[in-house]
Amino acid sequence: MAKIALRGLTRAHDLYELRGERAKELAKRGRKLIGYFCSYTPVELFTALDLVPYRIQGKVGKPVEKAGQYLESIVCPYVRSCFDIALSGEYDFLSGAVIPHTCDAMHRLYDIWVYYLKPPFSQSLYVPHMTHPASYDFFAKEIEYLLRNLELFVERTASEEDLLQAIKLHNRSRVLLRELYEMRKSSPPLISGTEIIWALVAGMTIPVQEFNELLEETIEEVRSRKPESYSRTRLLISGSEVDDDDLIRVIEESGAAVVMDDLCTGSRSFWQDVDTSKEAVAGLAERYLDIPCPRTYRPGKAAQRFSYLGDFIRDWNVQGVVLYTIRFCDTYQLDAPEMKDYIQSLGLPVLYLEDAYTTTPVGQWKTRVEAFLETIESRRE
Amino acid sequence: MAEETKTEPKQKTSSAKSTESAGKIRHIVKRMYKKAQQAKEEKRKVAYCMVMCNYEEILEAMDVVQVYTENYAGLCAVKREAEQYMKKAQAEGYSDVLCGYAQVGIGFDAWRHELGAMPPDAPDGGMPDPDMLLGCSMGCDPRWKWYQALGRYKDTPIYNMEVLMPPSDADFDAIRPYYVRYMAEELRGLIAFLEKLTGKKMDYDLLMSIVKQVEETRLWWRKAYDLRKAIPAPMSTQDHFVLFVPHHMLLTDTMTLDFYKGLYQELKERVDNKIGVIDDEKYRLLWGVGIPPWHSMYILDYFQTFGAVFAAETAYMIPEPFDIPPDITDPVELIALRAFERNSALQRRGKEAGGVPPLAQAHLERIRDFNIDGVVMHVTRSCRAATMGQIHTRNVIRDCYPRMPVMFMESDIVDVETYSEAETKNQIDAFMEMIEAYKKSQK
Repeated sequence: MAKIALRGLTRAHDLYELRGERAKELAKRGRKLIGYFCSYTPVELFTALDLVPYRIQGKVGKPVEKAGQYLESIVCPYVRSCFDIALSGEYDFLSGAVIPHTCDAMHRLYDIWVYYLKPPFSQSLYVPHMTHPASYDFFAKEIEYLLRNLELFVERTASEEDLLQAIKLHNRSRVLLRELYEMRKSSPPLISGTEIIWALVAGMTIPVQEFNELLEETIEEVRSRKPESYSRTRLLISGSEVDDDDLIRVIEESGAAVVMDDLCTGSRSFWQDVDTSKEAVAGLAERYLDIPCPRTYRPGKAAQRFSYLGDFIRDWNVQGVVLYTIRFCDTYQLDAPEMKDYIQSLGLPVLYLEDAYTTTPVGQWKTRVEAFLETIESRRE
Repeated sequence: MAEETKTEPKQKTSSAKSTESAGKIRHIVKRMYKKAQQAKEEKRKVAYCMVMCNYEEILEAMDVVQVYTENYAGLCAVKREAEQYMKKAQAEGYSDVLCGYAQVGIGFDAWRHELGAMPPDAPDGGMPDPDMLLGCSMGCDPRWKWYQALGRYKDTPIYNMEVLMPPSDADFDAIRPYYVRYMAEELRGLIAFLEKLTGKKMDYDLLMSIVKQVEETRLWWRKAYDLRKAIPAPMSTQDHFVLFVPHHMLLTDTMTLDFYKGLYQELKERVDNKIGVIDDEKYRLLWGVGIPPWHSMYILDYFQTFGAVFAAETAYMIPEPFDIPPDITDPVELIALRAFERNSALQRRGKEAGGVPPLAQAHLERIRDFNIDGVVMHVTRSCRAATMGQIHTRNVIRDCYPRMPVMFMESDIVDVETYSEAETKNQIDAFMEMIEAYKKSQK
């Protein structure tokens, strides 16, 4: 087994490169790990029952081999990639799968995943698409139902105190991640977007306690850095699943700095804390349903719906935005033109990339990114 | 040129029908759009709607005129008029792989916004400008997301509503109370929204009577549907793909109740007299999951040249049976419970059958009940919701019927550019050879 570094960003990088290795190690030692999708799964439930949450990821650029026998070619390429990896046995260390009904692809994946992979534990979690008062009550009930089934699986119960402790641990990750993101505000930022991806992906594959330690070390390490002496064009990337550093590396190697994100795998997964003054399940329902993803309906015009992006742009002094959507993703593609309108209304240029979760277009991306950066540069002049 | 002639398709795209009832639909559809346009002129409230959202009775009770936008996109495809709207949506920045219906609908409203008037020569006179947009989560994401996207072109009030689809392996007794409660709250939210917008109060007695009428309508459609199990098949899927229109788009109209009573009588007569779709029915096919290629429906007739009839389908399915519990007096509670029971019926039967996924369960039931010899599924590029799971469904069918031929026909619901007639016919030729061999092996 490859050796994973012990501390800080080097550890984050190793966990990113060798994702799953630490989880397999834990499984060998008898820990149970539950695989999950999306930022909408309340992972605190797993932690409260001493289960390790493991976010299921695909492999950008790895050709789909076996999944074609089960999933159509026009299905979300990220979902196909995840399922392909699972079929290859790479996720055999998982004791279960929780697949939230967040979008059409996830909803339909559940039956297929369970039918062919037969995980010891499985549940589809219905995440409301609406945000009416009754939606929060319903989601709390659905979370309770998931908790009850998890308790039956591990043959123990989670008390309110267990849940609260788990919430506090995950809230701590959120606080630390936001602290790390603060270090992207300086010009040039103290930590690159590529390094952020390593830390984020690492966090999806290890127990929360280990992640918190990793983040504390990383913050200390980054804080001691001396800033670069030259400035870079500051970009924000918005999209869904970015669990690979290729795209961000291409952008940063072209001379820009990705200083902020609006990604499922990024800020969206940790920006809000769970309110600990509420009953645990109610707090979880509120926190998770309030994640600003296009799959959830939020009333209002673009300026209202995307105002959080405006805040990011202002606070992180963003000069341009990369909108990245995965092909066949209806919810993103239905939002993208309005999101583009909104960002442009703030006076910022937008680069729109639609991708099939592959590395094939890296050369194309590079050309487009360079042209985009030139546009920003010429505007500044 | 007369208005009606002007909106006829540039080339014939429809399929052959075997029932007189199906022959009435074109007139019903024309009248439906005309009535909606008149309603708008008369300042009655008009809503953009999605089928199967469980709000039809509520809208009828509140005198809101329903315009089904997905189906208008289908109409545009039938008339080969969809492309202009899709191109407009793409020019507005929407992806060319976005739901085809949504592309047509957004393109249509973007164009109307640009012109400040109805797009010229819109099929059947076009959809009137709505007073409200009523999406729902049932079926797929674009069915509510599309209306949100229209906010780019209009300030029309929106009520997007949750309609729950319970997970296939749930403990249905455990989840029923809170699933039904949420659905009921969503419906009450809709009523409050409509009361505010129309200035009218909901008449709950009227609503209850409409619910009962609707269930009677469904009962007659189901009775007619059951007659289709007869050999030879008294009607085909080609007929079904127009006969669903009154149910899906004019559900609360009293005409619809009479229509399905009439369909039942017609089919009964055909069954009693052994009148089939074709004279010599050799093979019985199932049109599996997948919305049909509205732009080229005539391709379904090509199967008939081999003596094959589409005896049943799993697209635009008839709702599951539901008996109104006598103790429920609140029509909102009733609609909510009905939605839960209907939307979990296939799941329950699949679970009882040992873990068969609901979509596959629907196929297996029809294969058994309609004596099916082979299955055709339509892979639709712009409709992932109806496409994802087709291979899986084929695999599950093969677990039960190892050699049953299954064909995946590839094109789209509206985009004719994705369709190759020559390739499709070649594929059908090969498929029918497999059907012939399969049928022989079953003897």
